[in-house]
Amino acid sequence: MKSFLGKRAIASAISLIGLIVLVFFLSRLTGDPTALYLPVDASLESREQFRELHGLNDPLIVQFGTYVSDLVRFDFGDSIRRSEPALDAVLRAFAWTLQLALITMSLVIVTAVIVGSLAAFHVGGVFDRITTFFSLVGASAPDFWIAIVAIVLFSVNLGWVPTSGTGTLWHWILPVAVLFIRPFGLILQVVRGSMISVLGSAYVKTARAKGVRNRPIIFVHGLRNAMLPVITVIGDQAAALLNGAVVVETIFGFPGVGKLMIDSILQRDFSVVLAAIFVTAVAIFVMNILIDILYAVLDPRIRY
Amino acid sequence: MTTNSDHIPAQPSATEDVPTSPAKQVLRMLWRDKLAFFAAVFLILVILCAIFGPMLFEEEATRQDLRGRNAPPFDFSRNWLFWLGGDTLGRPLLARIIVAAQNTMMVAAGAVAASLAIGTTLGLIAGYSGPRTSQVIMRLADVIMSFPSLLLAVIVLYMLAPSVGNLIIVLAITRIPVYLRTSRAEVLEVRERMFVQAAQVMGASTRRIVFRHILPIVAPTLITIATLDFAFVMLAESSLSFLGIGIQPPEITWGLMVSQGRPYLTSAWWLSFFPGLVIILTTLSLNLLSNWMRTALDPVQRWRLEIARKKHG
Amino acid sequence: MKYQNGRVAAILLATTIAGQAMAQEQTVTVVLSEELDVVEPCMASRSNIGRVVLQNIAETVTEIVPGSGLQPRLATSWEDMGGGTWRFTLREGVTFHDGSSFTAEDVAHSIARTTGDQIVCEIGAKFFGGIAITTDIVDEHTIDITADPAQPILPLLMSTMTVVPAETPMDSFVETPVGTGPYTFDEYNVGQNITLSHYENYWGDMPEVLSATYLFRSDSAVRSAMVATGEADIAPNIAVQDATDPATDYAYPNSETVYLRVDHEIAPLNDVRVREALNLAVDRQAFVGTVLADGTLLATGMTPPSTLGYNAELEPYGYDPDRARELLQEAAADGVAVDSSITLIGRTGNFGNVLETMEALLQMFQDVGFNMELKMFEVAEWENSYSRPFAEDRGPTLVAAQHDNANGDPVFSMYFKYASDGLQSGIQDPQLDDMIAAATAATGEEREQLWSDTFAYIHDEIVGDVMLFHMVGFSRVNPRLAFEPTIKTNSELQLAQISFN
Repeated sequence: MKSFLGKRAIASAISLIGLIVLVFFLSRLTGDPTALYLPVDASLESREQFRELHGLNDPLIVQFGTYVSDLVRFDFGDSIRRSEPALDAVLRAFAWTLQLALITMSLVIVTAVIVGSLAAFHVGGVFDRITTFFSLVGASAPDFWIAIVAIVLFSVNLGWVPTSGTGTLWHWILPVAVLFIRPFGLILQVVRGSMISVLGSAYVKTARAKGVRNRPIIFVHGLRNAMLPVITVIGDQAAALLNGAVVVETIFGFPGVGKLMIDSILQRDFSVVLAAIFVTAVAIFVMNILIDILYAVLDPRIRY
Repeated sequence: MTTNSDHIPAQPSATEDVPTSPAKQVLRMLWRDKLAFFAAVFLILVILCAIFGPMLFEEEATRQDLRGRNAPPFDFSRNWLFWLGGDTLGRPLLARIIVAAQNTMMVAAGAVAASLAIGTTLGLIAGYSGPRTSQVIMRLADVIMSFPSLLLAVIVLYMLAPSVGNLIIVLAITRIPVYLRTSRAEVLEVRERMFVQAAQVMGASTRRIVFRHILPIVAPTLITIATLDFAFVMLAESSLSFLGIGIQPPEITWGLMVSQGRPYLTSAWWLSFFPGLVIILTTLSLNLLSNWMRTALDPVQRWRLEIARKKHG
Repeated sequence: MKYQNGRVAAILLATTIAGQAMAQEQTVTVVLSEELDVVEPCMASRSNIGRVVLQNIAETVTEIVPGSGLQPRLATSWEDMGGGTWRFTLREGVTFHDGSSFTAEDVAHSIARTTGDQIVCEIGAKFFGGIAITTDIVDEHTIDITADPAQPILPLLMSTMTVVPAETPMDSFVETPVGTGPYTFDEYNVGQNITLSHYENYWGDMPEVLSATYLFRSDSAVRSAMVATGEADIAPNIAVQDATDPATDYAYPNSETVYLRVDHEIAPLNDVRVREALNLAVDRQAFVGTVLADGTLLATGMTPPSTLGYNAELEPYGYDPDRARELLQEAAADGVAVDSSITLIGRTGNFGNVLETMEALLQMFQDVGFNMELKMFEVAEWENSYSRPFAEDRGPTLVAAQHDNANGDPVFSMYFKYASDGLQSGIQDPQLDDMIAAATAATGEEREQLWSDTFAYIHDEIVGDVMLFHMVGFSRVNPRLAFEPTIKTNSELQLAQISFN
């Protein structure tokens, strides 16, 4: 285990460095941000002044050198937009995203696994058809649709919950509900598919033939073997949430990392983009390590 | 997740004749599952629209009528193309949906097929080969998962000319990791099984083992993910096209129609609703059809589609 | 006006005795479309920053009041001393939020900081580019401001200059803005809200609104919903399709002008007949009340009707597609390559329904025979096409842009958009350069006349571009407030102007 973790940590660190270098050089290929920060009618002198102030006139290698030397002290530079350290802006936003992601994925995992397994138990039955239908509709419907309709219905018309913003528990209901739907639909389908295969397999049939009536046992045994693809997809969806749920953040005013990333990319705020990618990459890399460990736990035959 | 190797093929215990042609057999099995049948019909309709739509309806779909904008749907006195309403420039929504099918299918099918093929191949390699190759491929997947698709799109826009092909490339790249990781996970599990080890002992080549034994096990999950990815790609495409990277107006896709209708959700709901409905129906159909195929192709489950319901007792 | 102790004390007493409930009612919640990058007074010309800071936290030296023209604010009077120098007499008895007194030194420091080179201030970059400003402190409440080259409209320029205390650092933006305005800055929870509360020692009348909270929501439907449910009181900027409730929704001219910038350097756009054909091909009236809001005006010049120099005699080009086709044929007969592929460039999110507008324009141009294609770009890419330096291999282009000038004089727009060296200008016309220079240097009625003539020259004689619309904005206001948006609402939201019903 230790050597596995050790090798993995090194490999991940190398990939992280590679990612940063890649993003650094590629993002600077996308042009000069000066025009985005100054009004169109700014004079040429102001533009030059701006470039000098933010070190944009230095050759790329020099900029990279400065960046790396700051990086070792965990200084990701300052946001051009906000004149505050990029890392501060990212961590503040990431806190919100992390909370949303954790709450949503917890709900998704629990409900999708239970409902998906139940659906698989009676393939083709009424419960199966209905849950499949709703999960597919949810997974393919545009998220801003659901969000705005939900706001109009539950907030403006019925007045049950606030329209948007953060603050109380009530403010979290709609955003989490909207974020919940697509991963729920996808993972439910994967669980269902997996369980159908497992429940049709030899050892389950044997267990039943031997008179093991106890459904939970079959459930648990079957589930254990079905989970491999399921946790892979859970990881994929969690990564998507960690990258930030832009639509939900935008509509409900949650200042998460998704909106920050998009705004920073469009505004060419390079330091924030890099800092944000770094933070989410660390989270995703760690998550993938945990998933790989989980594979080995679920199926002891797996060796790396 | 096992489906083969230690089972007995089911016999069609039927009161009907064994059908002779495979095509008829397929049709009969399709008819057994009514939902799958209608799903297939719908998909054929979509494909027909994709192929012939622009040819037949391009003119009607682009004819603007500013004073007739946001025409409400279900006005049956008008030309049938207006039954789903008119868009913000007075163009008939139904015609636009039909014409948009071509671009939508091209982008979505292209991106999903590419990511499915590349991701699965890399995942199979990662699962089956030595630790070093596997480590490199998996870390590559990690890097892709952390690279924001918007940034990739902006970079591609700057470095290459804007085109639909580049849009497909960007979308495909961002979806590779899920197929890669899923197929690799399956390979890790399956390669330790008895039948694989038996095959190895018997001298089967790696390629044979992977394609004949492992891939069929992995395939159903991958197909399920792919069908849902279709919807995701259709919607994600619109948020990239606004950058100027792929579909430029007056070209249109369903995803673009949905996102362009966003400001009107409360006033002209049909602008987003009908294209969104078509996306949902396409996803539903793909999924139902893939579930049907899974049952039809699986010798263990196939009986569900072959046995006729007895009418008497 | 003297600072009235007793009145303020009485109000303070009243608010505390009357209880928290009363204080709650005198709070206003404003929901803005995007959050503020910095809360820095010298950046207040950016509209989202201006809406929070301008005249609420930091005040300007003079002020343009819609309907009354240039009015005193921190300066009570001014006079032209000649040679580019104006003498401003400053208001007495004014204090900053940190308690220090307002004197000429603060004005001098603010000007130096805003136009200096240690930080890049939006106000400095936008209004003072190419102008060297020096100050001379005569006494505590009198200051001489000199501009080189001489600016006849210096007092008008001073309506953009926000004043901060002389202790404000020259080399960085502030996190806690301090000014002389009726409200102090409490805090900024980044991504969530900004809170202001009233300043007891304000020199002017005590406002009815005692505190304010600013929220941020990108989606117009959500902003509208928030005012509808009472979660917010004012949404100063909502989309036309969300402005459905006449009881709460107001339309106002928002000083934005939409036009197509024509690149005169590349054929066939260098032929005046082709440019005229472009103008005649557009059915402007068809947009009003359909794709664009009712109340949108057809434009003949870069600045809205309320601006000095607006030429009311100019007629917008009518819709005459037949004449447009004729013109193209005439030009073709003379060898002009009228069927070259022209690129029409638009910017996503530029204004409400921009995509529909561009697609409709494309159709109209194609109908008269132009070989045109549409490209919609995001901001950065669009900027490359809009401002110099232009790409060498660009081909003939039309760039759709929106320009905002609520500052009372065309000088803020004309050089950039029409001079041969102007950053966004597609025109190289020495006569036009002379006309702009002459109008810039003139004063009074002569100035008005010269600007009018310049607009006529651009619109009728050289057909400089395709002028389209003066735009309308929408606000939603909770009925418990008495507030009506004006042309200035695009760039500022003075809380002191709000009262309760």
